[in-house]
Amino acid sequence: MKTILSPLKNPAGVSPVTSAMALAVLAALFLFPSFVESPYALHIMILLFLSTIQGEAWNIIGGYAGQYSVGHAAYFGAGAYTTMILMQSRQIPPWYGMIAGIIVALIVSLIIGAICFRLRGPYFVLASIAVAEIMRLAAMNLKELTNGAEGILTTEVPVFRIGETVITDFLTKVPFYYIGLTIALLTILATWLVQHSKLGYYLQAIREDQDAANSLGINLSIYKSTALAISAAFTSLAGSFYAIYIGFIDPPTVLALDISVQIVLICIIGGIGTIWGPVVGSLVLVPLSEALRSNLIAQVIFKAGLASEESGTGIFLKEHLAHAHALIYGILVVVVILFMPDGVLGWVKKLSAGKGRG
Amino acid sequence: MIVFLQSLISGILIGGVYALIGIGLTIIFGVMRVINFAHGDILMVGMYLTYNLFTLLGMDPFLSIVVSIPLMFLFGAFLQKVFINRMLGALPQNQILLTIGLGLIMSNTMMLTYTSDYKILTTDYSSSSFNLWGISISTPLAISFLITVAITVMLYWFLMKTDTGQAIRATAQDREAAQLMGINVKWMSILAFGLGAALAGTAGALISPTYYIFPQIGGTFTLKAFVITVLGGMGSIIGATLGGIIIGVAESLGAVYISSGWKDVVVFVLFLLVLLFKPAGLMGKSRM
Repeated sequence: MKTILSPLKNPAGVSPVTSAMALAVLAALFLFPSFVESPYALHIMILLFLSTIQGEAWNIIGGYAGQYSVGHAAYFGAGAYTTMILMQSRQIPPWYGMIAGIIVALIVSLIIGAICFRLRGPYFVLASIAVAEIMRLAAMNLKELTNGAEGILTTEVPVFRIGETVITDFLTKVPFYYIGLTIALLTILATWLVQHSKLGYYLQAIREDQDAANSLGINLSIYKSTALAISAAFTSLAGSFYAIYIGFIDPPTVLALDISVQIVLICIIGGIGTIWGPVVGSLVLVPLSEALRSNLIAQVIFKAGLASEESGTGIFLKEHLAHAHALIYGILVVVVILFMPDGVLGWVKKLSAGKGRG
Repeated sequence: MIVFLQSLISGILIGGVYALIGIGLTIIFGVMRVINFAHGDILMVGMYLTYNLFTLLGMDPFLSIVVSIPLMFLFGAFLQKVFINRMLGALPQNQILLTIGLGLIMSNTMMLTYTSDYKILTTDYSSSSFNLWGISISTPLAISFLITVAITVMLYWFLMKTDTGQAIRATAQDREAAQLMGINVKWMSILAFGLGAALAGTAGALISPTYYIFPQIGGTFTLKAFVITVLGGMGSIIGATLGGIIIGVAESLGAVYISSGWKDVVVFVLFLLVLLFKPAGLMGKSRM
């Protein structure tokens, strides 16, 4: 409610200290690859950007308009597949593929919107899942186009040049870092613009009460579809970026229900309907699941002497803990939903507000 | 013609198991208005339970339901008491996310314990079949169908004739009115979730001789359970029974006449059509 009542003018309302800090963070992000050469550190940062893009994109339709899509893998997969198919079979460079991906995702979003926006609450959630599942099954079965369950593997990304000048050859992670950072910043900017525009206020009105919003003359299907289109476009960008960066896609990694759920979790854990929620969610989720994936947690358990590396438990932990990084998603979402329904960001705000009063 | 009859029969047989899954979900929804996204994962837990009873104690998968039904009931009651109960008045989206989280915990715990390898439960009748008027029928599917029918009949009797069953239905009809009539609705909710979990677990036990057992199998069944309950009408038990049979037959015919890869697409398209044109389902009242 606070956001709706806040004055329309003075959209920024930030103090000089905050903006100075923001500039410092931004500068640090841009200079990061010049100081840190570790490919692993760059990899983690790229994953953070990717997760931020996904979360911010979902936030526009899920957080602001209150339409909990659990089928965002459809757009992620649309971007990933369009880019990869064009690159592998038509030799079209991925930066054009990204744009093609956005167009495909927009078309998909229009179709999904036409079907799902007639439904509300749990029925909307179920329909969004069903559409994404149809896309996944289609990708499994249209073998001539998508290579089915085998997926698509790239050998190399073509050199990016403008005119005759070579901008980058994509041999290190650095170009991916900057592309990821740029898209992430663009997505945050887009979210900020949505939040502070008429569209954003309409969306929040729809979230609070669809019927009331409708009776005030807000055209539900137009605004919900617009929000979904923006959300789909950025999710598709994330998909294209993922496909080029990882170099391999198949239906389980880009179109599965898990992907849709993870995208929602980024926002839930950080805080829904806020600009920084998805960033916070990514900062929590990415390091945690990477620590599990890379067996860091098992190492810590050994170092702390909780279990010896050679013992049965130790071997078990080493072999299996890496595969269970999704467990952390499960535990986190249960804890967050039960104890901090406004996400980590909302919880911290509440804590600090409580302190201020006390 | 024989092919058609053959696939129709096997569709009905598997539809019986689907009906159990759907009835479980619909009871939970009816009483608590919570959509249980962990339903397929509960089924998966039931499969592993059956698998363990078989490999460790040598119990026949169909007989072991005597043990697994009460255990799965307790598991469901526990989930309701500890987690779901706190979320009864919350936003439906948050309830959905909570059950998604619980499902993730279940599937990943199973993966940690048993790895993601496919497990196969082979009994001496796993691949046997018998002939009925020229139609070959799989023995385990036929047995599981008979058990399904028995359980469904007992469930109807319980819900229609016993006091507790009527109290559950009253809670589903109007929670507040039921409470005013002196029904302990909290206890009914625990009972309902326990029943739902027991039914899902039983379905898991019944299919374990014919399906691969692995931690991620739940998702498929969760989606199927939704399709079945929405098709039949959320909250309607007769609807879920019908829905289960319809989906079983649609899948089976789709696999024969379209292709096995596209049979799930048939199911989801059917689902979307029902959502769009008859959102209340076949037997339900509109709850849009």
